[in-house]
Amino acid sequence: MQNREFTKLKRNLTALVEFSRVVNSSLDLEFTLNNLLLTCLGKFFTTKGCIILSIQNEMKLLCSKGLSEDMILVFPSLAHIENVEDSKELHDFLLQSKLVYSEKICSPRRCLGLLCLGEKINQQEYSTEEKEFLVTILNIASTAIENAMFINELKEVNRMLDSRVNRLSSLFELGKEFGVLSDESRISKLLVYSLLGHFLLSSYAVVILDGNKLKILESTVPKAPLLEVLSHVNIRSIENVHDRSGIEKNFPNLSKYKFELIIPMQLQGEASGLLLLGKRMNNISYSETDLEFINSVGTLAIISLENKRLFQEALEKQKLEEELEIAKGIQRNLLPKEIPKLENFQISAVSISSKQVGGDYYDIIKTEDGRYFIGIGDVSGKGVPASLLMANLQAFLKSITKQGYDIADSTRIINDLVSENTTDGRFITFFWLLLNDQTKEITYVNAGHNPPLLIRGKKITYLDKGGMLLGVMKTIIPYESETVQLQKDDILVLFTDGVTEAKNRSDNEFSDQKLENILTQKTFSSSDEILEEIKRNIDEFVAGELQSDDITMVTFLVR
Amino acid sequence: MAEFSTTHRENGEVNIIELNGYLDAHTAQHLEIAISDLIVKNKYKVVVNFERLKYISSAGLGVFMAFIETMRSNSGDIKLAAMQPSVYNIFDLLGFPLLYEIFPTETEAVNKFNQ
Repeated sequence: MQNREFTKLKRNLTALVEFSRVVNSSLDLEFTLNNLLLTCLGKFFTTKGCIILSIQNEMKLLCSKGLSEDMILVFPSLAHIENVEDSKELHDFLLQSKLVYSEKICSPRRCLGLLCLGEKINQQEYSTEEKEFLVTILNIASTAIENAMFINELKEVNRMLDSRVNRLSSLFELGKEFGVLSDESRISKLLVYSLLGHFLLSSYAVVILDGNKLKILESTVPKAPLLEVLSHVNIRSIENVHDRSGIEKNFPNLSKYKFELIIPMQLQGEASGLLLLGKRMNNISYSETDLEFINSVGTLAIISLENKRLFQEALEKQKLEEELEIAKGIQRNLLPKEIPKLENFQISAVSISSKQVGGDYYDIIKTEDGRYFIGIGDVSGKGVPASLLMANLQAFLKSITKQGYDIADSTRIINDLVSENTTDGRFITFFWLLLNDQTKEITYVNAGHNPPLLIRGKKITYLDKGGMLLGVMKTIIPYESETVQLQKDDILVLFTDGVTEAKNRSDNEFSDQKLENILTQKTFSSSDEILEEIKRNIDEFVAGELQSDDITMVTFLVR
Repeated sequence: MAEFSTTHRENGEVNIIELNGYLDAHTAQHLEIAISDLIVKNKYKVVVNFERLKYISSAGLGVFMAFIETMRSNSGDIKLAAMQPSVYNIFDLLGFPLLYEIFPTETEAVNKFNQ
């Protein structure tokens, strides 16, 4: 009898030593648990068993033998517990699985979980001796299990770190690449590839606001209907990420697309675009860190798209400025290089082009018989087109003045020519006069221009005889001309609306009244003085405000 | 700039794309073109040989995602083969093994199509 006991004891000890050697030789949790469970099944003659461990405060069924797949699937979701009695769900689960006996697995530091065993094949209860033996086995195994769990946790942390590193390097790479890509579609495509790679998306759409225009850059769903739905959404006001329930609540029309996330791509606190992301193909839900990453990638992309847009704008602006320089050049070259010295007239002129370059023009053309055509005009519009029409006008004037027609007839012909040459609704207001230096006589035609002022003894006469402005239609009603005999000290001022419409900061105009006051309240000794006085008053009035129209004047003082 | 190139071979019905060098945000477009070419020609059975690929970034992985549905809905697939461990790690990290078949060698991947 004693001998039998001894043999049994010896066999138990041998089993323990063997078991200890095996479980402590591996850090693989699965291997260790498997070994532990098999050892128990063999030792206690049972066909069923499982090991439940507490991992990150959650009870998990990690290893089982003899349990059906269906049983494993219904293992309840449980927070950390130490006794079967603490959880009715667990108690029921064990009952259903016919796991009749369980024992805690405890390391010296903490309770790791439970080992549960089924009925013994011989239907006998677990004896005290067997229970003690189980405790011993679990004590031996606990350290190995704890170590393996620790290694698993480390692996998990490592993996998370790898994932973070991977995301950071993605951000870095995208930042670099977005910087060199120049077109919108490449940027959005790359953004999509990156998100696809990271999240295995099943569906997606990338939407941006270009000014106020909504554009779908990428989409797995049909673009036109999506655009229609989104056109009713105030994109700029979307501040937060919306998940499935947020989408259903706030954007019910979008729910049919089954997007899981709407993430605004923000520029200076305002959404300039949206990322719409569907579910991940591995069925994992989006975590807080996922959202952070998507947000960062989205921001990078929208900044890059915005930069491209600004760059394009700057380019266009530069082109426009170059064009304006050209226009200014044309305009400068059209104006007379010098003003002729006359016997009975002092003449001064100025033309100041505005930032945008208007279409002001004045000219002095000497005829073969020694008289002078002096004209002032304002072409509608600005920039190069206005300058070109102005150049046309000058060419017409130069040739018509050689033909010997009277000034009214010449105006008719000019109007017909300009009308033929303008197709885009442009027109010219024009005034010109033919001056006889000997007789002090002028004959003028006013084609819709601000009437020049003739000041004689503080009294103003408006030179307004003429007809329609140039370029609107072919001449139907002939232009009228008027001849005026000038006298000593008469002042004549030709000007464009840039003078009287010069604006100050409060958007008030210099006005005809101010101009007339200057001319009637002072006595002038030279045409230069007249010009300077008007200019000084305008400068004072606008006080440095940039002018949108050219300012042009020709002043005469009769000697 | 990092170099990247692809070569294309056929083995029966199966199209083999060999990747060479660095597949990242910058070079992803090359792969995109290579796979689009196959789709244009109605070739949907693709094995990608990674043997000579030194580096892959998530944008590169995204390209495979972008085309997988087209291939599968035309009774084809993209199967991946012969990855270096560093490249496999990225695929593994981002959860690709769940969705893609990854083989140690090109032959095994081709054979899988022919089964």
